[in-house]
Order: sequence, then C-alpha cells, then structure tokens
Amino acid sequence: MAENWQLHVSPGADNDPVFVGVGEIPTGKFPDRSFIEALTKVALLALKDAGMVPRDIDTIMLIPCLHGAADQADLVFSRMVEELGIHGSAKSSYMVHSGGSTSDNATRAAHGLIATGHAQNVLVLQCERWGSADLNEMITMLAKNGIPGEWELPTGIQFNAIGAMITRRYMHASGSTAEEMASVCVTLRNWANLNENAMFYHKPLTVEQILASRMVADPLHSYECPPMADGACAFVMTSTGNARKRGLTTAVRVAGSGGCVSHYCLSQEADQAVLGWPLAAERAWNQSGWGPQDADIAQIYDSYAAVTTTGLEGIGIAAKGEGARWCAAGHGNPGGKLPLNTNGGLLSAGHTGVGGGTALLVEGVRQLLHRAPSKRQVENCQRAIIGGSGGSYMDAQILLLERTKLGA
Amino acid sequence: MKTPAIVSEFREGLAQGKLLIQHCQDCDKPNMWPRYACPHCQSENLGWLQSKGEGVLHSFCVLRQGAPAGYEEDLPYAIGVVKLDEGVQLLVRLEANRPDDWSDYLCDDRVSFVAVDAAEAERRPCAQFRRSPG
Repeated sequence: MAENWQLHVSPGADNDPVFVGVGEIPTGKFPDRSFIEALTKVALLALKDAGMVPRDIDTIMLIPCLHGAADQADLVFSRMVEELGIHGSAKSSYMVHSGGSTSDNATRAAHGLIATGHAQNVLVLQCERWGSADLNEMITMLAKNGIPGEWELPTGIQFNAIGAMITRRYMHASGSTAEEMASVCVTLRNWANLNENAMFYHKPLTVEQILASRMVADPLHSYECPPMADGACAFVMTSTGNARKRGLTTAVRVAGSGGCVSHYCLSQEADQAVLGWPLAAERAWNQSGWGPQDADIAQIYDSYAAVTTTGLEGIGIAAKGEGARWCAAGHGNPGGKLPLNTNGGLLSAGHTGVGGGTALLVEGVRQLLHRAPSKRQVENCQRAIIGGSGGSYMDAQILLLERTKLGA
Repeated sequence: MKTPAIVSEFREGLAQGKLLIQHCQDCDKPNMWPRYACPHCQSENLGWLQSKGEGVLHSFCVLRQGAPAGYEEDLPYAIGVVKLDEGVQLLVRLEANRPDDWSDYLCDDRVSFVAVDAAEAERRPCAQFRRSPG
C-alpha cells in the first residue's frame, strides 16, 4: 500500500506552480550547431512562449549533458546566466540529475521552490550532443553509467544489453511476439512523422522493416534501439499568482506525482517485466485523485519498447501483459484511444540522453497548452500522464499534469 | 586505489572455481552484490559463504555488436541475470550451447555455475553459468 502524501498547494492558489512556456529545436545530427548556441536558442524560445524576457528569470535549473565533461562544467558553473545576460540579478543556477528521469525530478524541484517562495520564475534548460559524439566512446562511457563497475563491467554489459534483457523478460512474461514489440516502435514513428523537430520526421517505418533490420542484442533489432541524437529543449515554470499578474489565462499545473526507485543495477531488479511502475502509479493516483482513465495523452519513457509497455501496464493504461498488444491494436496512434508519446519519443524523435525524457515532458506541456502544430495537436487535451525512467531503469517517475484556466 | 577487500576476495573465489556470496555474521542474511555494511541490519561484521551455484535465469541477451572498449574480441557473448537458490541475484556470462549459439536458453531455465580456470577468471572476473542438465 502506498502512502497518501498530499501536495501542500491548492489548485488556483497564488503559490500553485505552473508551466507557462516551452522551447525546442530540431533533434537529429547537427555537428555544426554548438552546445551553447542550442541552449541559448531554446532558452529564448521558451521565454518568448512564456511571454517573458531573460531578466524575469531568477532561477536557472540545468538538465545535464552526457557527451562531454567540459560542456557539463559550463552548465554547472552558470555559463547560461551570463549568456542570457542575467548575471548580477539571477538568484541561483544549478543542476538536477537522475539520468532519464531528470526532467520529472527537475519539475518537482522547481515546483517546491516556487510553492515555498524560494523562486519566482524558473527556466529549465537541456542540451545534448550525442548525435555528433563518437559512438564507440559513448558506448564505453555509458557502460559505466548505472552499472556497478567492480561487479558487472567484467561481463561486458552495455546499454543495449540492458534494454534487451528487459525486452526478453517482458516478452516471456506477456507472451508478446516480435511483431507486437515492433508495433510499439511503429506507433512512435507514426507520431514522429507529424513532428518536424523529430529525427525521423521524413521516414515512415513498418514492422517488417524492423524485423528485417540486423540483430544487435537478441532479441533487439537495430531499429528497436534508440538513435543517439543532438537536441535541446527548455521550459518555464512560475507561480499561478505571477502568471495571473502577467496576464496569462491558461497554464499547466501539477496535479500530483509518484515515483519508485526499484534498483540501482538491473541485476537487482525483482521483476524486469514490471520495474517500479506499479508503486509509482499508486503514489501518483493517491496524490492526485486521478486514475489512468482520466488522461488525454501519455508520454512514457521509450528508450526501448519494453520500458514503455511495462509503463503502460504499471500505470494501468493497458491490462497486465497487454502493453505491446495495446500498441499493435493502434490504441497509441494518432487518432487512437490514448495518444502515446506524441513527439515520437526517444525511439523516433531521437535519444538525446538525459534530454529524451525532457522532450517527452515538454511535448506533454505543449499539448496541454494547445500549442502543438495542428497536425498532431490532440483535440481538447486537458490531462497528461508523464512517465520517466533513469539509469538502468532504476526508477519509475510519474507526473500528472493538467491544463488550468488562471482566471482574474 | 587498492582494490577493496570485498572485491578482491570475491575474485579470488572465482579464480579458485568458487562462487562466493556475502553473508552477514549478525543477521545471517546473504547479500549480493557484497556491501560495506549489511543492507538488512547495517552490521559491518560480514563474511562469505560458498554458493551452491544453482538458480534460475531471470533474463538474458546475446550481444552481437557494440561491445564496450576492451570487449570487442568476446563478441558475440551472452549476459544474464541469475536468481540464486540462496535468494540473491547477480549478473553473469552464459556459456554457449554450441559455438556462438545460445538458442537453447529460455527465461526461467535452471542454470548452474561453471568454474573457469584462473587465467580466465582474471581476464573476466565475473561468474559464468550454463543450463542445468535435465
């Protein structure tokens, strides 16, 4: 039984934290787009979307990059404060990091700062250059992230192997076929084909193409492995009171959240076909009063299809064992029962490291603000489930977001 | 940095053909991976038990490309998670059924620890398992 932790902010209260703007630039391979240039662009896009200028921001929160230590140091040591010209007035600039679930935890951190008055206007920034990094270097670097080196590196484990083990266990437990697993990737591609910022915007994908692609880590084919990409996105949060004063009429609030850190290394996970989703979901329902039937869209971490299918089941969107078949039936597609990862997710918009989860969150907020391009805007989108996971799927994090009218 | 004793002792066990699991002398519980304090009772009074080396294969994969630096020569190779009968779990290498072929393996198969020679245990200090007969 999960605890019943209530948020100490009331909907519509002056201190109720809200999302008011998002920014994003195309994801893919952009070797000539510099790290700081990309961060500056998304910062200005998000501020414009929020009706703000850099001087309005008192707190910058950085989502980490994994491609290089020098760029990471630039983030940690406040370079973006100077780049945006708010040195001297900014109150604080710092990083939050939990791998793929960072954006969920950054949201919680910003939410707490705003609700308590430690911050007024928070700008969250993310940029990654995986698409332009050396692939072999990244594989070796990632083999040391989320893996206890002294115990497990000698096996030769790396990230596709982790995804492959979860996939194998999920297929065994659910009886899902290779075709059904591939259909999850196709669902995501169908959405990416509607997103001009997605790495595979112009490339349709079929189950047959996936199953004909080379075997990388049995049972994963190469088209079932996440494409490493360059990408950047940003979002702005403020208080409902500030948003009202600034004349905004709609925003996105946090109805509740839940999480579960189920392991550090995958070898210690009790059931790889379940992960931490059920407890995370129960906590989120308890805090919000929602159930899975209340959402209009779901944005669930998808570095591998089985991460999403375990999420669909743990959250209760699909019945136990039916996550992959739920996708095969087309329920997550454009026009389907519950639009799933409407930006194309990590598998088809591009895996931007820690930024993959941030892009899913940013798209959820964009949909709730009704600011997605018309071809993929979900009609009357009021509520979104955001699901994140980090490291070796060490945690399951759920944010429940809802569109809110600010009133006078 | 000197290799911590819990790591070097575990690896010495592998080199002698033994799979060691950490054992708390105070609460009598097994721990894997070995810890610096017992995660059940926080005792630092920790020792070793030799595992019977029998368990169930929770999941596995066969890596065919994209090995981390230094592991390229091993490709293809299979990695799995074994739930030992003693109640702890660990990541292992799986012995092929036939050269470069792991197609006989299924999730939930019974698997057994395989002792390797000291040179191999030094080259790859991790436990190796194979499908149990029968």
